[in-house]
Amino acid sequence: MNAVEEWSDSGARVRSRFTWNRLLWALVFPQRGQRIMLTVSGTLLAALSLGIGMAAYNSANNILFITLALMLACLILSGVLSWLNFSRVRWRLRLAPPWRVGQVTAVAVELGNRKTFLPTYGLWFELAARWLDPRPAVVASTITGKGVDLKASLEKAKQNEAVAKLHLRSRLDPQGTARVDWSFVPTRRGVWRVELRGVGSLFPFGFLSKSIGTDVMHNVTVWPAPVEYRRHAVAGSRRQTGGENLARAGSGSDLLSLRRYAAGDSHRLIHWKASARTGRLLVRQLAAESSEGFSLWVQTDAARWAKPEQFELALSLAATLAEDFFRSGQLMRVAIGDEAPRPVRSAHDLDAFLDRLAVVEIVATDEAQSPGAATPATMTVRNLMTFAPDGARSVVALIDGAKAATA
Amino acid sequence: MEQKRPQLNSDELQQLKWLLGGALVLLSVWTVFYLELDAWTMMAITTLAVGAAIVRPSWPALVPSWVHRLAFPAIVAFFLGDLYLTAELLPPIVRLDILLLLYRGISYRKRRDDLQIIVLGLFLIVVAGVLTVSLVFAAQIMAFTACALAFLLVITLVDATEGAGSDKGRVTSDKSAAVPAWAAQMELGRLLRRVREVLDWRVVTLGGLLFVGVVGVSALLFMAIPRFQLENSLFLERFMTKKAKTGFSDTIRFGDVTDIQQDDSVALSVDVSAPEQVPAQPYWRMVVLDDYRDQSFRMSPTVRLRSFQRERTQRFVLGEAPPKKGTGVFWTFYLESGVSRYLPLAGTFWELRFMEMQNFRLAPSLRLIALRDEPVTMTAYRVENFVISPIVADPAFAERGAAQPALRLRTSDQEQLKRFVAEITGGAALPVEQFITRARLWLTSKHRYSLQSQLPGGDGDPLVRWLSSAEPGHCELFAGSLVLLARTAGIPARLVTGFKGGTWNAFSNNFTLRNSDAHAWCELYDVTVEGWRRADPTPGAGEAAADESADAAVRAGRVDRSWSARFDSLRVFWYRRIVNFDQRTQLETLKAVKSSTQEFGKRLRATVEQIGATMKAMVQGPWDVKRVVLWGGGLALVIWAGWAAKYFGFSILDFRLGRRRAAHELVRAEAGLWLGRLRGLPVETALLEDLQRLRYGATASWAEPRAVFRRARDARRAARRNRVS
Repeated sequence: MNAVEEWSDSGARVRSRFTWNRLLWALVFPQRGQRIMLTVSGTLLAALSLGIGMAAYNSANNILFITLALMLACLILSGVLSWLNFSRVRWRLRLAPPWRVGQVTAVAVELGNRKTFLPTYGLWFELAARWLDPRPAVVASTITGKGVDLKASLEKAKQNEAVAKLHLRSRLDPQGTARVDWSFVPTRRGVWRVELRGVGSLFPFGFLSKSIGTDVMHNVTVWPAPVEYRRHAVAGSRRQTGGENLARAGSGSDLLSLRRYAAGDSHRLIHWKASARTGRLLVRQLAAESSEGFSLWVQTDAARWAKPEQFELALSLAATLAEDFFRSGQLMRVAIGDEAPRPVRSAHDLDAFLDRLAVVEIVATDEAQSPGAATPATMTVRNLMTFAPDGARSVVALIDGAKAATA
Repeated sequence: MEQKRPQLNSDELQQLKWLLGGALVLLSVWTVFYLELDAWTMMAITTLAVGAAIVRPSWPALVPSWVHRLAFPAIVAFFLGDLYLTAELLPPIVRLDILLLLYRGISYRKRRDDLQIIVLGLFLIVVAGVLTVSLVFAAQIMAFTACALAFLLVITLVDATEGAGSDKGRVTSDKSAAVPAWAAQMELGRLLRRVREVLDWRVVTLGGLLFVGVVGVSALLFMAIPRFQLENSLFLERFMTKKAKTGFSDTIRFGDVTDIQQDDSVALSVDVSAPEQVPAQPYWRMVVLDDYRDQSFRMSPTVRLRSFQRERTQRFVLGEAPPKKGTGVFWTFYLESGVSRYLPLAGTFWELRFMEMQNFRLAPSLRLIALRDEPVTMTAYRVENFVISPIVADPAFAERGAAQPALRLRTSDQEQLKRFVAEITGGAALPVEQFITRARLWLTSKHRYSLQSQLPGGDGDPLVRWLSSAEPGHCELFAGSLVLLARTAGIPARLVTGFKGGTWNAFSNNFTLRNSDAHAWCELYDVTVEGWRRADPTPGAGEAAADESADAAVRAGRVDRSWSARFDSLRVFWYRRIVNFDQRTQLETLKAVKSSTQEFGKRLRATVEQIGATMKAMVQGPWDVKRVVLWGGGLALVIWAGWAAKYFGFSILDFRLGRRRAAHELVRAEAGLWLGRLRGLPVETALLEDLQRLRYGATASWAEPRAVFRRARDARRAARRNRVS
């Protein structure tokens, strides 16, 4: 599944009606979001122009005035070429979820040059991926903010942010497309905002570093990191009869359908009557029973999770087990906190569960359970897997109070 | 389908950068050619070394590291030594600049070193331009700008290709490190071929047009930059001295003027607001030499002290001629550098105005102006209302006692001269004018004119020896002889050097004097007119034309339409419009632009009104069948042209610049049209598939669009034919 943004370009911000005044003003004053900074070469050119200009006025020498005029004309040419370079170039972000904590993720900037015969050179892209804190920001006055360690705050913000400057190393031909890739590793679960903060270039002569701010951004949910865990045999699925049948193949007692015999099928499953009637060897396919699977319940009350790192580990274990159970067809229902259990019938349901796991937070004990809510605890659910701290660091998954897995 | 254009890789860009950096160094150091500075050896070494480094970029790696360590101290030591030995500031700085360029040109460069090349090169070119005001500067700064912009562009592309902060291809601080990969692989021929492959003619054309635009914009900026009249003279001139040609200094030896005549370069250009004012045979006086001794003519100390006023520092000087009523006649002189510090003048004047402040001395009785220093750059001055006359009035000379330095000749030479004078005058005391005529006849009867003349050997004064012989002679010998003969006859006489004649440039409409027009003549004091009468004894140098028709013939004969005149016209344009551009010219230009714009507006309005009136008259006229047919036909033609443009537009639009829709969009639209036209017709599936690919498919899957559309057209025709049959 790829997340694709709409195309944006250097003119995307300019929505106002064209007038000559606007054009002239735009030539003099950079548009909003545009940054133009002098580079070393540009500073040198400016200093040279200033020096030559002063000498020209001081001496009234036309040779110096010519040189000054040429340098200023070169600066204008630089602006024109820079504008041509950005003109009719469009870009968009392409993301490839799912993203998981600790795993390398890919972000691509796709480019298209819609110019007829002019190529585009030397673009760079300022990309940033930033973790969005779900908690409301605390407004701290600089006057009253005594003891606020600014440096530590900045350091913390830096940890939750990844930035990169990607260069288009090749020529972007007219009517051509290109792609610039960035890979980074999310450091924590939650919602991350991937932004294309700016598209810049030193083209053509490196006098000015021109950067155009963009509105291109995309929010991506980063799932908890997969973890290694140890399963305990004692708490394997307990088989009980009379369970709820599911509309998918399994090893229950109800006939779901018939199918052709395949090597390895038990001879007990052969449906002799049907085989005789059709002349083909057919076997019974039985419906699965819910009692074969597991229901996951991730409790989020603060009383249970004194240590946030154990809570994180529990979420990772829950996510990993959920994926493993789904893959083996054993994931029945899932629930987080005091919400009602949700059945998992498709990959979409699993993704939704993992999305919720990505953003779940520890909830204070008094509000952990709302009265009257139909939580898994109030319902009769077989093979209910819950999670709890295990010692100082570990987390254990329990099925009906017995250890099922440890991480 | 269009093939993807190749692209230069990182190594090739590095090679191109190296090549352009070398070219910039060479372009810069070649300023020595016209800077006339003693740096020829350095320039030759730089050219050879940098040229070799361009062709073989791996060679700089052979230079041991200690050379790089010692390079900077050595260059500084050289500069200080140069400064101490020459006792001048600017020439050592220029030589230092060349040395630094040499070093940068033959060592692997970082980004800052590349920028250094541009700065050093620009300094050299600007200094040369300021000092010489030469037209070559214009060509050189253009070439340098184009090269520097290409160089900066390649640097930007290199940075983009390698990514900011990457050190690939960069040079480490140890310049003697191993040969960079790009240098080891570089072959000039292959690189140029690759560049040619990579370049798109449309991009190159646009680049060329943009550069023309840069030149145009810089011209506009040059004219538009506000000027303030700051009364300063150029500081750079003070740091460099230049020696003028000896023929126009205050001492000349025989042959000095003739040496100048060998040089055909332009010495002086004169703009005249009333060309008819230029005489048929103009004499441009520069130096007056009244003393003859040690076989050379010189300006006597008496004249130097008495005739020249004290030095002034100002922009203008008033002469002795009265102002002309009404609009005056302006003569604008552009005296090339290295000619003389004495300004060529055709006579007395009302006002002489320099383009910038000058230090000069005026000698009113001699009609001379001498600048304090030999100008190292072109000197421009404007003279208002010349009074041109063969007589230089000097009533004070008679009052001073008509004293001239005595001729220091041996007695035998003096006796010889007396005998010659007796031959000329027949022993009678002749009026000056008559003496001049007879002396000229006598001289031309004995000697013919030749630039390849030689003084006969023997004792005594060389001029007297030449007079005694039948050897041919040049202007100095003829003029010098007349001075000696006149002085022997008791007539005060002096030698004058300057220019005579010149050509009228038919392209720039100005008078051009070349060094080959250098001339020497003499002036004899005529008490009857209380002035110095010009006498030119050189054969063929008639004093004045016999009549007006001959005068007109001379004027017509001096019109120059040769290729060198075309080039000179460029130079004059450079002086008129660029070098001499000042606040006054700026205002005049603005007024001219304003008036021409108003004029253009008036004409445009008149033309539109005229067209409107014509159209109205045509519409209101009686309509007969012929007119209806004509108008209908015209209208049909316009409609057909519109349809044809739309129908065949695709192939034309292929080459149209700046079109609104991209080529592939047009192809898709055209394919959509054809799919509609062919719907329901029995056409082959392959054609429909090709059209559908053009309409909906990726451009990479397309067949050649025009061929597909041609097939579609043929298929439709065939289907119609079948239906009819």
